[in-house]
Amino acid sequence: MSDTMVDLSRWQFALTIAFHMTFPAITVGLAIFLAFVYGAYLRTRKPVYLQIFRFWKRIFAVGFALGVVAGTVITFEFGLNWGPFASATGPVIGPIIGMEVVTAFFVEAGFIGVMLYGDGRVKERTVFLATVLVAIGTVLSTTWIIAANSWLQTPAGYKIVDGQFQPSDWWQVVFNPSFGWRFPHMLLGVLISAAWMITGISAYYLARGREQAFARRTLSLALGVLAVLLPFQLDVGDHVAGSYVGPHQLSKLEALEGNWDSTNTGYNLFVIPDMKNGRDKVKVTVPKVGSWIAKDLSGNTPTPGLASTPKDERPNMWPTFWGFRVMFYGSMLMFAAVLTGLVLRLRRRLYSTTWFHRFLVWLTPIGVLAIIGGWVTAETGRQPWVVYGQLRTADGVSHLSTGAVVFSVVGFVLIYLILALTWVAYVVRQVRRGPLPSDLEPTLLPPAEPVAEMGV
Amino acid sequence: MDDAWFAIVMLSVSMYVLLDGYDLGIGTLLLLDRDERRRREMVEIVATAWDGNETWLILFGVAAWAGLPTAYGVMLPALYIPLIVMLFSIIARGAAIELISTANDGVPFRWGLAFGLGSLIASFTQGVAIGGLLSGVTVTDGVFTGHTWDFLNAYSVLTGLATVVLYATAGAAFLRLKTEGPLRDRAGAAGRVSLGFTAVLSLVAALSLGATPTGTHLSSPLRVVFFVILVVVAVAGGVVAWIGFGRRPDRLALTGVVAAEVAGLLALLDILVPRVVPPGLTIGEAGAPGATFVVLLVGIGLNIPLVLFYSWYAHHVFRGKYREPQLARPAGLSASAQALRPSGPPAGVPSTTDGAVS
Repeated sequence: MSDTMVDLSRWQFALTIAFHMTFPAITVGLAIFLAFVYGAYLRTRKPVYLQIFRFWKRIFAVGFALGVVAGTVITFEFGLNWGPFASATGPVIGPIIGMEVVTAFFVEAGFIGVMLYGDGRVKERTVFLATVLVAIGTVLSTTWIIAANSWLQTPAGYKIVDGQFQPSDWWQVVFNPSFGWRFPHMLLGVLISAAWMITGISAYYLARGREQAFARRTLSLALGVLAVLLPFQLDVGDHVAGSYVGPHQLSKLEALEGNWDSTNTGYNLFVIPDMKNGRDKVKVTVPKVGSWIAKDLSGNTPTPGLASTPKDERPNMWPTFWGFRVMFYGSMLMFAAVLTGLVLRLRRRLYSTTWFHRFLVWLTPIGVLAIIGGWVTAETGRQPWVVYGQLRTADGVSHLSTGAVVFSVVGFVLIYLILALTWVAYVVRQVRRGPLPSDLEPTLLPPAEPVAEMGV
Repeated sequence: MDDAWFAIVMLSVSMYVLLDGYDLGIGTLLLLDRDERRRREMVEIVATAWDGNETWLILFGVAAWAGLPTAYGVMLPALYIPLIVMLFSIIARGAAIELISTANDGVPFRWGLAFGLGSLIASFTQGVAIGGLLSGVTVTDGVFTGHTWDFLNAYSVLTGLATVVLYATAGAAFLRLKTEGPLRDRAGAAGRVSLGFTAVLSLVAALSLGATPTGTHLSSPLRVVFFVILVVVAVAGGVVAWIGFGRRPDRLALTGVVAAEVAGLLALLDILVPRVVPPGLTIGEAGAPGATFVVLLVGIGLNIPLVLFYSWYAHHVFRGKYREPQLARPAGLSASAQALRPSGPPAGVPSTTDGAVS
């Protein structure tokens, strides 16, 4: 199969899955958040919780729907563009995703209608139960899909018969070497993304002096959750690199650190790689930090370089390195923001520091960007393999005419562009409009038209 | 064991046709209605259930992939164009449903169009895909080696059209069950027209199946007996639906349509089995290894009753005629204050107060 076909199909898959990923990255965390606030409403009967639930439900609803339809595409894309891959891995991956469908998708789909449209039609407790089940469904879904993807990264518990992967030990298939660290990493990632979204939108109201009671409660909650989750994520992320990427996918580690020869003991901040000649055109390095990350404080442990991997098994350093940097620099920014938030909270100025609120508005999408960066690293760093070390991506592509794939790529680009713009416009409109009033406060008056555009 | 799994694959495709069939059909019917209030009501009826209905399509895809990997790896590239177009349409209509539902009232023109056309094209391409499959797929060594446009022929266009009118009939029957007043009356009239077209088109499609590589040869007397019974049931279902579109009880039309759909699907299976990808690929050849089937049947098979329960529950909660939600006023907000609210009514509530309430 020609390189163009492989590249086109890879671009299509990357595009469709990146678009899909944006939505679960927000909705998993939002589902848990919605279950929490509705539970809080039932317990305390404070109207503000109902107000929060109704407002965020609307953002959740459209995000969830986009995630569902974009996810349907992925299920079929495995076979459409990657027929030989589907044929070879079906017996192993198929059942895992099948479990996701029956234990997660159906639960979510069965109760989402009640959660979103039950308000005023069914009992409050039924709405709460439905919301909790949807939240559980989204977490289960994350579990299964990470199990499937982790198997592709570190395949285990299988034998190969006539070119087909056949399961020999399901326990090893699901709990493959990378699953144990990648799952908590992903779960924390999606919870953190949702928390940033909530933080950013709450901060927008505080910065404009609107919806004070509503926004204070959600800002405090989301920043509090972030302050707890981020340190965990730092530790888990370290384990992902140290306990799985290093031992199991050395070439990915070599590429994501941006080194060619294995002599650099520093840490690369900025690299422009030259894939053809196997060197870096530009490199900005902080001395000794690379060694510190490898847990050698003397500063003498070098980081392995990509030159030690045979040329036909090297991943492209560009997306692997920069995807990782987006995630890493993003997480540094998140830490800075959360620490600042803690300091302000202790000084009782969290709700009155406008510059900080404006800063938080800019951070609204940062969690999603970090997830996409990390995902680009995970997927491009394991190339040229689709099943690591066993099946090359180029051998998994379908026998299709170039025209057919160009048609689908162009179609997806157009549709997803329209939907992405619609989604952003929708969220911005909902936010500007604001939550429905919870009681007879001055908010009953029409909110003033926003004067200047705030980046959301 | 692979036969048991094949049954689950067929169950999911049948559930998909029964469930998403009606909501795609309602989308197609929306294109024919100009009244804002009725259009909104149609969307609201679909909004509570489409997600669950569509999940059966995902289950079908994954079940085929896991249990019949070779068939899956052959079928999808062979039907690339219709399936890609179907996915485009499903994306557009799914997004449109939620965006209409969260709009203040009425149906924004663009999203109404996206929902209607998306539903229409999705129905058509599904029919084309089935027709393309029945027209035979070129397979060499378990890999698709035909051409991109092999699927497109007179037969697949015919099945495409038949699917559109079949789904529209199901949609009309569902509206008959869920609505009152003018929408119910219109659904009855539209249902009869589309039912008529469905009968003619499926008859032609059934008779010309013999000319496709699939053929209509029934290899044993038992199959012939089954086939005759199923055809009788399908015809009877059609007649019941015809009557149901004209009189009460309102569940009559849907009952007839469902019976006809189930019988039609079984009749097709009666001809097809054990082949999965005509003309030559059979269940045994396409199947996965035994270790996979064990986990499939235990892990997924045992979940099927639960999944059926969810589908039932999602419909049961919103059973009866469609009515607008009676939203509890937030504490402390007087009725007059609520009426003065600047931000319009809350999620999913049409601002109209008459018409839809039964």
